[in-house]
Amino acid sequence: MTRYEIRVSGFGGQGVITLSKMIIMASSIYEGLAATQTEAYSAAARGGKCWAEVVVELDKNIELIDYPKALKPYDFLIVLSEESANDVKVDFIKDEENTGFLIWDPTTIKKLKVGKKINKVLGIPVQKLAVEKFGNIVFGNSILFGIFTILSGIFSEESALETIKKFVPNSTLDKNLEAFELGKQEAMNFLNKIKEENN
Amino acid sequence: MRFMPEGKYLMMGNIAMSEGALAAGLNFFGGYPITPSTEVIEHLAARLPQVGGVCMQMEDELASINAVIGASLVGAKAMTATSGPGIALMTETISMAANLEIPFVFCDVQRNGPGTGYVTEPHHNDIGLMRFAGNGEFQVITLAPMSCQELYDLTIVAFNFAETYRCPVFIMSDAYLGHLHEVVKIPSKEKVEKMVIKREIPEDIIGKFSYKDESTGKYIIPKPPIMGTDYCPPMFLSQPHSLEGMPTPKPQIFTEMMIKKITSNIDKIALTDTYKLDDAEIIIIAYGLPVRASYRAVDLARKEGIKVGILRLITIWPFPDEKVKETVKDAKVVIVPELNYTGVIAEQVERVTNLNTPVIRIPNVCEIHHPHDILKVIKEVDK
Repeated sequence: MTRYEIRVSGFGGQGVITLSKMIIMASSIYEGLAATQTEAYSAAARGGKCWAEVVVELDKNIELIDYPKALKPYDFLIVLSEESANDVKVDFIKDEENTGFLIWDPTTIKKLKVGKKINKVLGIPVQKLAVEKFGNIVFGNSILFGIFTILSGIFSEESALETIKKFVPNSTLDKNLEAFELGKQEAMNFLNKIKEENN
Repeated sequence: MRFMPEGKYLMMGNIAMSEGALAAGLNFFGGYPITPSTEVIEHLAARLPQVGGVCMQMEDELASINAVIGASLVGAKAMTATSGPGIALMTETISMAANLEIPFVFCDVQRNGPGTGYVTEPHHNDIGLMRFAGNGEFQVITLAPMSCQELYDLTIVAFNFAETYRCPVFIMSDAYLGHLHEVVKIPSKEKVEKMVIKREIPEDIIGKFSYKDESTGKYIIPKPPIMGTDYCPPMFLSQPHSLEGMPTPKPQIFTEMMIKKITSNIDKIALTDTYKLDDAEIIIIAYGLPVRASYRAVDLARKEGIKVGILRLITIWPFPDEKVKETVKDAKVVIVPELNYTGVIAEQVERVTNLNTPVIRIPNVCEIHHPHDILKVIKEVDK
């Protein structure tokens, strides 16, 4: 299968939907891959349990995604709230080489119960970092986007940068690029750690 | 700016439909917001004033559809968008518009029903309502897109059909498709302009309404008259009318004309597509979202040597009787995956095949078909 299944979940207002839209824009508009995005609707998107899913078709010859919903096990799962973290089960994540990542945020989640049973888990206090380093929680999105870009590797860094330029206002572009860079670094360190462990 | 610059855009289905309407020349939208169609009125409220058009949020669905018909009568390209409960309320005026041959486009972003139902789930359960959208006998056209790109493309086609055939034209969307985000390729302004049939003031003094040309036996559909211009009737009565628009005591001729003006043009209206049908013994007949899963299911089944293909209905009403009959005549079995429990289109297939070919339904409600749902059935019937 050449489908890449992504799910982001948290609560409304955390940027769950924005992050998913950045992912689909980088993959489809800039990378030229077929992709679909669906998101939580109505009350959920405004403070309730919020989620968004993206499916990216990695085969460039396929122009239409046959099943637009993301399927378990996911290639990439990002959980940003206690409630969504509690829902996660071990079989939600693919256990394969170069894929099957779970990212969670210790700022909002006390403990990830399934953390030890999944191979590629990265707990990173995105919201705390965003506030400490950049002064606002909104920069968490660019950090996460940086992490996603490196770990998934489904689109180029160029595509990611173009997407950021499209999404953020000019006045905060530099800070967002720094946040993206920070996310990239964290992701690279994580990949190196995995490599060492495997060796 | 009526036309978006040529290029690729990431768009939600409801927005793609709205942009398609603008490209087709929409200049009046009357509506009342309802989940899951709300983004349409939201988007057009911002966009229509930019192009000199009008977007009106009316007090309810009845007022909305009446405003749309009124706008179309004075020459606007008009549409509304709603969901199941909305179309139920609007049927009275849809029936009147059909009688008066007033062109308009109607986007039904279907949700689960009956009644209020489950408002954010897709359910193709208004298909019957779209076909018989009001009292009296008349034909409508219903188009079933399967992607955001087609929501854009087919909306232009819908407006052209409305202008050409002067009947209600429905775009059959649903809660899932309406909220799906996908890339939409917008063609150049020149290309779009070439596609669009414009609303023009008709030049003929007579022949404002459709009639049968007795010498050729063909049904003639003149351009719609525009109120306030020369030779337009000063008032419209929704009674059986003659070609001048005057009440006629010959409802038989009128009713026949209402039906035949559409059915005699079925070759041009009933758009279909085929996929790997040449040697197919098992035939899938699908429309809307389930088509996407069907493509994949067919590919997977073909790998195992099962001869299966797809007849895709892009137009579901009028139902292409002859095309379906011809396609399935040698089929061992027909599979119809639908996003409703009854199998509204499956019933139509059974009708045209006189029950000689087994028709297997795959009824999903509020849950879009996975390719494996369809593949499983293909394998079962292949045994």
